[in-house]
Amino acid sequence: MFKAAGSSPVQRFVAEGTIIVVLVIWWAGARHLPSFVLPGPLDVLKATLSFVTRPEIGYHAVVSFARVIMSVIVAMLLALGIAVAVRAAPILDGIVERRILTFLNSFPSVGWAILGVVWFDISTPTVLFIQTAIVLPFCLINALAGFRQIDADLDELGMSLTRRPLRRFFRLTLPLAAPFLIAGLRVAYGICWKIALVSELFGASSGLGYLLMRAQSTSDAPMVFACCIVIVVIFGVTDFLVLKPLARRISVNQGLSS
Amino acid sequence: MTFSSLTSDTKREGRGWLTLEAILPHLFTLLMLLLWWGYAQFVPDYQLPSPWTVARRITLFVTDPVDMMQLAASLMHVCVSITLAFAIGCVLAGLAHYVLALRLLIDGRLTPFLNAFSGIGWLFIALLWFGLNHVTVIFAVTLILVPFTVINVRTGLQELDRDLLELGQSLTRSAFRRVTKIVAPLLLPYLFAALRTSFGVSWKVVLTAELFGGNAGVGYLLNQARQEFDTETIFAIIFFIIIFVAAAEIVLFRPIQRSLNRRFARV
Repeated sequence: MFKAAGSSPVQRFVAEGTIIVVLVIWWAGARHLPSFVLPGPLDVLKATLSFVTRPEIGYHAVVSFARVIMSVIVAMLLALGIAVAVRAAPILDGIVERRILTFLNSFPSVGWAILGVVWFDISTPTVLFIQTAIVLPFCLINALAGFRQIDADLDELGMSLTRRPLRRFFRLTLPLAAPFLIAGLRVAYGICWKIALVSELFGASSGLGYLLMRAQSTSDAPMVFACCIVIVVIFGVTDFLVLKPLARRISVNQGLSS
Repeated sequence: MTFSSLTSDTKREGRGWLTLEAILPHLFTLLMLLLWWGYAQFVPDYQLPSPWTVARRITLFVTDPVDMMQLAASLMHVCVSITLAFAIGCVLAGLAHYVLALRLLIDGRLTPFLNAFSGIGWLFIALLWFGLNHVTVIFAVTLILVPFTVINVRTGLQELDRDLLELGQSLTRSAFRRVTKIVAPLLLPYLFAALRTSFGVSWKVVLTAELFGGNAGVGYLLNQARQEFDTETIFAIIFFIIIFVAAAEIVLFRPIQRSLNRRFARV
């Protein structure tokens, strides 16, 4: 996020020390509180590990992960399509910017979840529909911005180099817009995990959202905490290993990497 | 298309307010309403009520004092959460900037953690701790908003113009004056961005929080309507929220953003 490099020993001591202190306070506090209010760190760790040891629980995490990836990709492709259309016909700009974007941006996420269940049955496509609808505006904002900032001179250069529009699009337009698209992808991916999981509370009988709901209704507090931790871990790991390096590589090359 | 006559008309008129570009979005809205109305004729009401029914339900909603109380409750949730998240975010960002020892803890541990934590997760934890009430809703929404505020304010603090800060140092020795006269005004665009993002996100999530964890608010109404398969009310609430949020954006946030852009444009 911000430059963590060059942290002094004092900073390290404070950072790791605070985490240990918090864990100790948690452990001590949990001993005096019933498990359905605050489960101890060990119980939560056990429940978290069950995602690895028990396939029937790990399955829910895998299902959620696959759904998130798919909806983010679908939303990004849709956003790209709309942005390309606006670029081809600038007269559409007002419609997209002032109507479609405003509409999608103001739509409450739980509204999509309820409508998805009213319109379709409880199934994976419904979840995908809800999640895609929720993250679409975040993709669209970035896709539009990415295409808008493309240097007109470079565009002209492309025109003089090849007459094939597809080639121009993949060799010039797309790489130039790539930093914005990656930024949009990162935001959409985060929103999908953080907010769009609401789709699984209504529209599914599998996935982490469903698991959270089930754990809450049976007062299985360790499982509620474990689900939260699993989401943090999945999001953190994928963001750190895939999205962040991708964003860095593309922005360093100013989008001109082939 | 059928707009061809219009196109030639507007062309003749030149660049007045009645250009095709200005009119097209309205035509699009009309077309969408027409399509909605047309489609609603073929499907049952519980799947898609017609725009007319929804409009009537919205007027009922707006004139009903009980429903308006629920809207007030939602507004209260949003305002309290934004204020709390703003205060917490500013304190965290300030600490990370000015207290070196805490920087890694906040920038490297706390903010990424909060940023990765699921909003739905906070909601269910709050449900375990507080039950169905205002506290649950405010707690969940606040914690979702905090990372947005921290990141915005933190970026603002990092982008502060060093020369101006130095100038301030040579002008006064009172740190308080420097903060109020130089740092705060320079931060204004970032603080505003934090508020604007918070407002948008909070309306997206407050209904979810109220639906699962509240005993008041528009989300609570939405839940009742959902249980009774009252699609009319569901649509009315969703469209009312869309109009409300879009209006706030157009009437309040965009003009302020424009004036901020003018004032803070780098020459």
